[in-house]
Amino acid sequence: MLSTEHLTKRFNGLTAVDDLSLSVAPGEIFALLGPNGAGKTTTINCFLGFLTPDQGRVLVDDLDVGTHALETKRRLAYIPEQVNLYGHFSGVENLAYFSELAGASHDDAALRQFLSEAGLQADAHDRRVSGYSKGMRQKVGIAMALAKSAKALILDEPTSGLDPSASHEFTVLLRRFAASGAAVLMATHDLFRAKQVASRVGIVRHGKLVHALTAAELSHTDLEKLYLETMES
Amino acid sequence: MIATIARKEFIELIRDGRFRWAAAIVWALLVTALVAGGYYQRDLVTQQRAAQAAEQARWYAQDPKNPHSAAHYGLYAFKPRLAPAFLDPGVEPYTGIAVWLEAHKQNELIFRPSEDATIAQRFGDMTVALVLQVVLPLVIIMLGFSAFAGERERGTLRQLLSLGLRPRDLVTGKMLGSAAALALIAGPAALLGAATLALIGPAGGELRFALLAVAYLLYLGIFLLLTLAVSARAPSSRFALVVLLAFWAVNCLLAPRLVADFAAERHPLPEAVSFKARVQAALHDPAATSAMMKARTAELLKQHGVTREQDLPVNLAGLSLQVGEEHGYEVFDKFYNELYAPMEAQNRLLQRAAAFFPQLGLQAISMGLAGTDLAQHRDFTRAAEEHRRVELKIINDDILEHPVKAGDIHLGDRGLWAKVPAFHYQAPDIGWVLSNHALTLVLLLLWFGFAACLAWTGAVRLRPL
Repeated sequence: MLSTEHLTKRFNGLTAVDDLSLSVAPGEIFALLGPNGAGKTTTINCFLGFLTPDQGRVLVDDLDVGTHALETKRRLAYIPEQVNLYGHFSGVENLAYFSELAGASHDDAALRQFLSEAGLQADAHDRRVSGYSKGMRQKVGIAMALAKSAKALILDEPTSGLDPSASHEFTVLLRRFAASGAAVLMATHDLFRAKQVASRVGIVRHGKLVHALTAAELSHTDLEKLYLETMES
Repeated sequence: MIATIARKEFIELIRDGRFRWAAAIVWALLVTALVAGGYYQRDLVTQQRAAQAAEQARWYAQDPKNPHSAAHYGLYAFKPRLAPAFLDPGVEPYTGIAVWLEAHKQNELIFRPSEDATIAQRFGDMTVALVLQVVLPLVIIMLGFSAFAGERERGTLRQLLSLGLRPRDLVTGKMLGSAAALALIAGPAALLGAATLALIGPAGGELRFALLAVAYLLYLGIFLLLTLAVSARAPSSRFALVVLLAFWAVNCLLAPRLVADFAAERHPLPEAVSFKARVQAALHDPAATSAMMKARTAELLKQHGVTREQDLPVNLAGLSLQVGEEHGYEVFDKFYNELYAPMEAQNRLLQRAAAFFPQLGLQAISMGLAGTDLAQHRDFTRAAEEHRRVELKIINDDILEHPVKAGDIHLGDRGLWAKVPAFHYQAPDIGWVLSNHALTLVLLLLWFGFAACLAWTGAVRLRPL
């Protein structure tokens, strides 16, 4: 569903992503681990069509992002580190707006259902999001993906800044989302959450995918050890 | 999709406290300007009508007197105020709206303000035109500068573009949404203006009002599109605000004054004291009138088949007065052309400067459609002067046709006064006004096209990073 083939991206002569090839199948959660500047966000920006690869290809549902920008975006849902919403609008109004723009109009009851499925309390649906916590905004982000019936979900540091309870709640939602057949690519440096939620884990360093492992084959300790060794090598 | 974006923009704007404050301020200004302008218009029109009727009645009711004394007694001619003039008084505070018609003299009125003032003085009063030309563009900037730059800073632009939204839909939706929010301010103001007009009269001028609305929409559209274009390209909303405020200040505050001063420097008006002195010297040139008098007397002698002036069955004093007037016409035409030529050159320069500053273009068109620009003032003074010449010809012919013996005096009576027609002025039609402002209209349209292109290309290149 999501794949890169020999993806390379440079900025002013510096290579941010270096010959990166990966793929995420439907129903799979792939956690892309790496420190700041490793190339995780650049890879995501290439998936979203915000950056054009210098070499290689980025594919969504076998469609090249470079040549099918709109079609690939229609299949994706994107949740950044901080889900940015319109402060003067309520949760349900934000969801209605983003859903309509994504080409997925729903009635009010359905929108509230998506918000509830994403874990947002009913009494928060009509409150302006300027008063929402980060976790509540992330839930609206998940509701957007649900409302859009996205085939793939891309997340950039989604649990950063969430308290443990909200973070756990979020991983449960992600698993549910993947279980519905969606491919999930999650960039993070939270080793614990990556191991907890992902089917596979990739470790990137200096833009290269150094390791791609099945999460079940590793313990938390093994993953941490491998990560540290990779960073220090 | 465009409708969705427009609706969201509209709702977001009207929920924004800045919009409510801006709307309240603009509303207060517009209501004040509309009501004040409306009542001023009503009073002026009432007073003008009363004064014109009184003037005519005074003329027709004169007791028998020397016709030339009656000509010196004089008559006021008032420029009828068109209905849209209450929105934009234009040059009227500078030029005045009445002309004094008197023997030997052509409308003195235009000299006085021009003696001490620059033409920038024409644009100083708080009017509906000023609110729409200067304040509303500022409101558009304050509400729109963060349209894209702010979305980029907040991260919502990234969210939007990740949805597969076409940037051109985004810019169109934002434009429509912002325009709808602005219509909340302008719409009720337009209704209030119509109500004011209905209450105060005079009615009419619908086409002029409609074209004024089109011109102002075009101008405000330019500001809206430029605001979106700058916001789409600016690296931050603060940068967008600085750029837009600089443009507003130059376009709305500095350019009208600087270009007016430059135009005055480039095309100076004649210095008032020496101008009057030259007019007086030319009027009282005995050589000019004596040659004309000789020729006209010779014509009369031939016409009546006599060789001596004393044998003529006419009063040569009437001929002398008419010859003096006709010499005056030549002098006035020459000197007034000399006075108006630089004024018109200044106006042309101001209008051409609309290529750089759209407000100057709108200002010219607005005054033109309101019937208060210099061209229409000049047309009125021309009509008033023609009327003066007709009146004097009737009076001088009457003197000519009534020879008197030495010691006798011919008196004009009400029959003579009645021969002088009442002064009726018909303002130029809309085609004449539009042809005067064709270049300015084209320049405003080009500005609109340019702003639309900038907004369009800015949107197409819109990047969330």
